[in-house]
Amino acid sequence: MAERKLRYGVYLGAVQRHKRQISFAALLDAERLRPKRPPLRAIDLHRLLTPYVSVRFSEQLRAVVPLALMLIGFQALALRTSLLDADSVAFGILAVIIGLMCFMEGVKIGLMPLAENVGFQMPGKTNPAVLLSFSLLLGVAATFAEPAIGALQAAASAISPERSPWLRQLLGPYSHWLVLAIAGGVGLAVSIGMLRTMFGWKLKTMILLIMPLTLGLTAWCAQQPELASIIGLAWDCGAVTTGPVTVPLVLAVGVGVAASTGRSDNPLSGFGIVTLASVFPVLAVLSTAIYLTSQGSMLPIVPPAVGGWYNQTPFAEIIGALRAIVPLVLLLVLVQTRLLGEKIRQRDIFIYGISMAVAGMLLFNLGLTEGLVALGEQAGNNVPWAFSENRETGAPPLYPFALGIGLTLTFAFAIGFGATVAEPALNAMGMTVENLTDGAFRKRMLIHAVAAGVGVGAALGVARILFHLPVWMLLLGGYSIALALTVVSREEIVNLAWDSAGVTTGPVTVPLLLALGIGLGEVVGAAEGFGILAMCSVGPIISVLGTGLWIDMKTRGRKRRSKKA
Amino acid sequence: MSKQSELIVLTDVVLITVVVQRGVADHVVQVAVEAGAQGAAVFYAHGTGVRQKQLGILGLTVNTEKEIIYIVVPSEQADSMFERIFVSAKMDTPGMGILWMTRLDKMSTYVPHDVAARFGVHTERAAG
Repeated sequence: MAERKLRYGVYLGAVQRHKRQISFAALLDAERLRPKRPPLRAIDLHRLLTPYVSVRFSEQLRAVVPLALMLIGFQALALRTSLLDADSVAFGILAVIIGLMCFMEGVKIGLMPLAENVGFQMPGKTNPAVLLSFSLLLGVAATFAEPAIGALQAAASAISPERSPWLRQLLGPYSHWLVLAIAGGVGLAVSIGMLRTMFGWKLKTMILLIMPLTLGLTAWCAQQPELASIIGLAWDCGAVTTGPVTVPLVLAVGVGVAASTGRSDNPLSGFGIVTLASVFPVLAVLSTAIYLTSQGSMLPIVPPAVGGWYNQTPFAEIIGALRAIVPLVLLLVLVQTRLLGEKIRQRDIFIYGISMAVAGMLLFNLGLTEGLVALGEQAGNNVPWAFSENRETGAPPLYPFALGIGLTLTFAFAIGFGATVAEPALNAMGMTVENLTDGAFRKRMLIHAVAAGVGVGAALGVARILFHLPVWMLLLGGYSIALALTVVSREEIVNLAWDSAGVTTGPVTVPLLLALGIGLGEVVGAAEGFGILAMCSVGPIISVLGTGLWIDMKTRGRKRRSKKA
Repeated sequence: MSKQSELIVLTDVVLITVVVQRGVADHVVQVAVEAGAQGAAVFYAHGTGVRQKQLGILGLTVNTEKEIIYIVVPSEQADSMFERIFVSAKMDTPGMGILWMTRLDKMSTYVPHDVAARFGVHTERAAG
């Protein structure tokens, strides 16, 4: 065999990727001559897009799927009923996931930078009056854009007009009034929140001023037969408003204002607005209801007109999505260009963000009724079978009464708990809190406290529908405890506890719980099925305040002991 | 001089610095370690490159949060390591990152005593 000598280094050089040395300066010169955009192969597109999409997709998947599985699983295992229209529900849920993904991304890259810039520049360039009216408008516009608002209207069809006429009126012919009232409430809350940031008011005092007023109005309404059925809805509206659009947008502006008024050193400056934004809508909705009932003119409930291209499926949703996003965009753009005299930076990315937000909203709305609402209603319809006769077939209850009720309440608790643990906003909040309290209040402890609070709240809310308890008594009781705990708690913990209530009710939880409650209410013959969300908001306030006090006591005890020793 | 206070200076070392999008570093470090690297330091940074801007809308898919990896390797291994990292970090796609390599004057770290002794007349003499 002929022998051939080959230097190992030469062999390796041949096997390896071919290397070539080019001077960097020469490369830069060459690049200057060609078009800017590099040509992309298919593999490049895959490498760029796949991680980007999959991260955002799985984020929403994690929020939606466990809840949906819990609802389906409970029906399958405990009630032995299978899901009706499984494929349309599955498509609906998929649409919700993709819709939320696009929507959140669009808001993040399209609206957030604008809002931050506006919040930072406005206090220096305009006077406080302009800033306050801008805050008001921002709150109103953000509420229109909130995806969960649509769930309220979707819930309307299940309300019986005979038993609670004014509730049906508010959700039917007067639904514009309702949305305006909620939006106005949020707007007011945002401008008062800005005032608070500017003057450094304490949230504790504000809560102690506003809450008794709201509770008093609630108690008064409860005595009026016409208004009693509105209370659940009004308090639920408070929970609906503080969603994924309002909270970050308002915080972005708030942080900017705090920075320019020189109060940015306070890590709590961002907190508090969420609380106000969930209380003021309650006041606004109750007042609207009082005004409308005193006018006393009920409108006939017209079934939605079928004719006209604008009521057909794709067009109606497109119009809805545009109506939700466009006011917010217009407001921010007008302020940016007219008041601040600045251009929109990176226009193509801005336009892309806005179109993503609109497309996402569109998909979300399409999936909402088919997916989440249908699922929640089915669960609500089926769950009472655990302890009472089946409404349709008349079959005997599946379980003895006590066990059935127990199962139902456990189920409600699990939904509340599960939905909260997965909430990404809460995770972020947990980290802030750990820093604030020098590690005394652990992140995991906060998440568990909030989740347990929401769970107990959900169970209570379901129990009150099942046993026909008046919602105002539960609310009054819950908030009285919360107020009492607020008086004795530190300002930091108060901020935290009241805000955690608003953070927990996102665009997935709200439609599911609303539909569940309404389905339940229908089956057990309650006048209305609202109030679960409201109870879910009180729960965490109490549990977080309680945990905070307990931690304070523990650290104080440890200090005393170490002093003695 | 006692054995403990001896300082061994290692020569013929090269520093490879890799800038990738956040979340990719673990993979790169794993590849480097499999190729014989002793370890790596990863730190967080953020910034954008020229390709990211040129991509236009697609540039949004490139995370501006970055991870920077420092890997110190003997100069014999450097070229093959450089190439492996280039391939594993998929640097032939725009926006995926950048890497470079610099010669180091000297480096020092813990060297096990018995290993040092194998080279070390110095140690023997000091101890004796």
